[in-house]
Amino acid sequence: MRSIVLTKGVPDFSEGAVSFDEDGHLERGKTPTVMNPNDELALEAALQTKVRHGGHVTGMSMGPPGYADVLKGAMETVYTDDSYLLSDRELAASDTWATAITLSAGLETYQENVADVDIVFAGFKTADGETGQTGPQTCWAMDWPIVTHVVALDIDPEERTLRAKRLVEGDVDEIETVEAPLPCFVITDPEFEPTYRKASHRLTHKALRAETEERAAEHEEYLTTWDHEDLKLDPDYIGLDGSPTIVSSVDPIPKAPSEREATMIDPDGGMSEVLEEMQPYAAEAGD
Amino acid sequence: MTAIDPDDHTVDELTERLQTIDDEDELQAILEAERAGRDRQTAREAVHRRLEGIGAADDDSDGVEEGTETEGEYEETKEDVGDEAEADAEEAEAVDDEDEAAETVDEAEADEDEAKEADDEPAEDDDLSHPTRDKKHIRGLADGDYADLWVFCETQGGELLEVSKEMLGKGRELMDQFEADYGDEERVVAFLMGDDCQGLAEECIAYGADIAVYHEDERLERFLHKPYTEISAHMARGEGTVESTDWRDYDKPRYVLFPATNNGRDLSAKVQAELDSGLASDCSDLFIEANEISNPVKTGEPGVKKTVEKVLHMKRPDFSGFEYSTILCLDNPDRDFHPQGCSVIPGSFDPIERDPDREGLVVEHDMDLEDDWFRVEITEYDRLEAGIDLTGHDVIVCLGRGIADDPTGGMELGLDLVDAFDDAELGITRGIVTSSYQFEGHVEQYSKEERQIGETGQVVAPDVYIAAGVSGAVQHKVGMDESDTIVAINTDTDARIRDFSDYFVEGDLFEVLPRLTEAVEAGETALEPEAVADGGDD
Repeated sequence: MRSIVLTKGVPDFSEGAVSFDEDGHLERGKTPTVMNPNDELALEAALQTKVRHGGHVTGMSMGPPGYADVLKGAMETVYTDDSYLLSDRELAASDTWATAITLSAGLETYQENVADVDIVFAGFKTADGETGQTGPQTCWAMDWPIVTHVVALDIDPEERTLRAKRLVEGDVDEIETVEAPLPCFVITDPEFEPTYRKASHRLTHKALRAETEERAAEHEEYLTTWDHEDLKLDPDYIGLDGSPTIVSSVDPIPKAPSEREATMIDPDGGMSEVLEEMQPYAAEAGD
Repeated sequence: MTAIDPDDHTVDELTERLQTIDDEDELQAILEAERAGRDRQTAREAVHRRLEGIGAADDDSDGVEEGTETEGEYEETKEDVGDEAEADAEEAEAVDDEDEAAETVDEAEADEDEAKEADDEPAEDDDLSHPTRDKKHIRGLADGDYADLWVFCETQGGELLEVSKEMLGKGRELMDQFEADYGDEERVVAFLMGDDCQGLAEECIAYGADIAVYHEDERLERFLHKPYTEISAHMARGEGTVESTDWRDYDKPRYVLFPATNNGRDLSAKVQAELDSGLASDCSDLFIEANEISNPVKTGEPGVKKTVEKVLHMKRPDFSGFEYSTILCLDNPDRDFHPQGCSVIPGSFDPIERDPDREGLVVEHDMDLEDDWFRVEITEYDRLEAGIDLTGHDVIVCLGRGIADDPTGGMELGLDLVDAFDDAELGITRGIVTSSYQFEGHVEQYSKEERQIGETGQVVAPDVYIAAGVSGAVQHKVGMDESDTIVAINTDTDARIRDFSDYFVEGDLFEVLPRLTEAVEAGETALEPEAVADGGDD
């Protein structure tokens, strides 16, 4: 089984790490880049596949050279075998359409030059753009089958099929069991959980960890970088030039208009009014 | 004085002249001159590239910095671009100033192959003749005819989803306004598919559509990516029999809305890609108005401003809820991007009142479906246990990041207060859902998204809403603003929640909540003294 995991670096939005200027705009320079949290689940799904069925997992990312560190992180934590970075200036400011075209070109180039791929894994949304569009659009460009919002995954390498449980949102949420042929795109849901039911799986997992530590220490040996010419892409149809959408403005989340006049209360003496509001709803004594 | 005054040259000329300069100081001087003069982004980049080319330490990267990103997501390419760049399509980065550039341009000093060769031909190729990989995906329509607002009406179990009705209501409002603004009567077109959906198409008319196009096939009972994408694109392009398409005479819809549900969002991404257009995801506000653009990629002429009429402005929270972006989907000079599309967060808009007597045209769509489209098969499905319903209770106690010092203890105090009421539930803010707080096992279940109150969570309107340690982000306000009485407990008197509370109890929730619980249980109208008491039963 050979899989590719699409991953991306994002600003670290966790408290204490993220930095905003006085206008409320994100200060990227002061905010560290980390692997997109949802992509970790895609990587976990790929790892589960490798532990159960053996094979090879490649991490692939499109972005600036600094994303090599994100791919290295993927190697350290989820034991990818190698890394591919699609990077050059022409790819800057791509929206999801241009990104999907570029990533699909990366996948096709990989298939032509490296090996056939059975599964492409991707996470649901990034923490910055939060579109949820890039995975499905990349799949569209490949014209492969796709299963999205996957929470559990089983693969049958002999039958060349996968079976997945996926979440459906509606007025009532549902869970579907889906069967799809390989090769296939799998987009993990934030609820995805890998399972290692057999002792042999757990042992394999442990062995992989030891083997990967050596590899990750020499990550650059396992990193291939492709630019738009390697991918045979015309600059007019990628990056900003190839992006249908632009961001016309970015506003900090606006302050809510003041609609109520709050009575300031000192808890040590002024609570009678508040408690009178609440008492009608108190539970009966002994409830 | 520099040997070259960049103001005298187009970027192309300048780039060429730079190749003859090997002196770092000279190049820095040209850079300064450019900044002081026309300050063209593309010209500055050309100098940076040359600096790289001669191996100079280019420490001032003009806002191009490592670690900024763009991959597949929106870049903050602000529209009010001030660049006077010469037409150099391969360079145009739409950024208005260096600070903004820092947040926009994603490629840091990227590839080592400096001195990029320009295209053989400054690209103006409508015939898409390059033997490059991307061409097979380009539908390449230019100067097409576009009209109407289309709405994908997602269904479940033989009913329209609520969000489908909400989008029809918003679509109706947008197109009524469109007619008032522009004098053109364009329509709201519902499109849907399923195993038995003619009745639902009629329902779409009752909820505001002028036209409802539907495709029936038993294999479409549940959403499947490939056939749903193919049918939607086929409908949108007006392909099909004359009888099913003679109500329209345009190439593609002007606008299209999809629900931001798991399936709706997937479909929006694939259909818009198939229609060679773009979209914004998870929008919570929409309006149509003219927009003045100066982005050279969109105007075709750097330094020129151009007004585009009838632009759908799509507003969305992003950056993990820290910012609102307005996304526009705009034609390039030689390649149209229509329909302008987006997915819409459920609950963002109100449906209009159902009117079974509303008149409209219901059209059955005609198309052969290929067996190969059904390679993905749904073998079973179940309804999930409904999550926690926070609506309909007398009292809601909502906890925010104020519990950070002791998340488990804070959660316990909130639950104790909930228990003191006859009919109450515990809610949490998005901040808790997305935090990395460690909750101990017995309260961890209360930290899940199913209890989130706010724009992307549940909307509640209890008689009494108690917000403890909640700062009051606007998205939170949306979820609780209709409550009768809102009591905030917070140490920070500047917290935004003060602007939408009736009572602001100035205190630490860890200290106030237990006393409040005790007072409610005892039927008191004052808190038991904590350290210092002053009675206060007034």
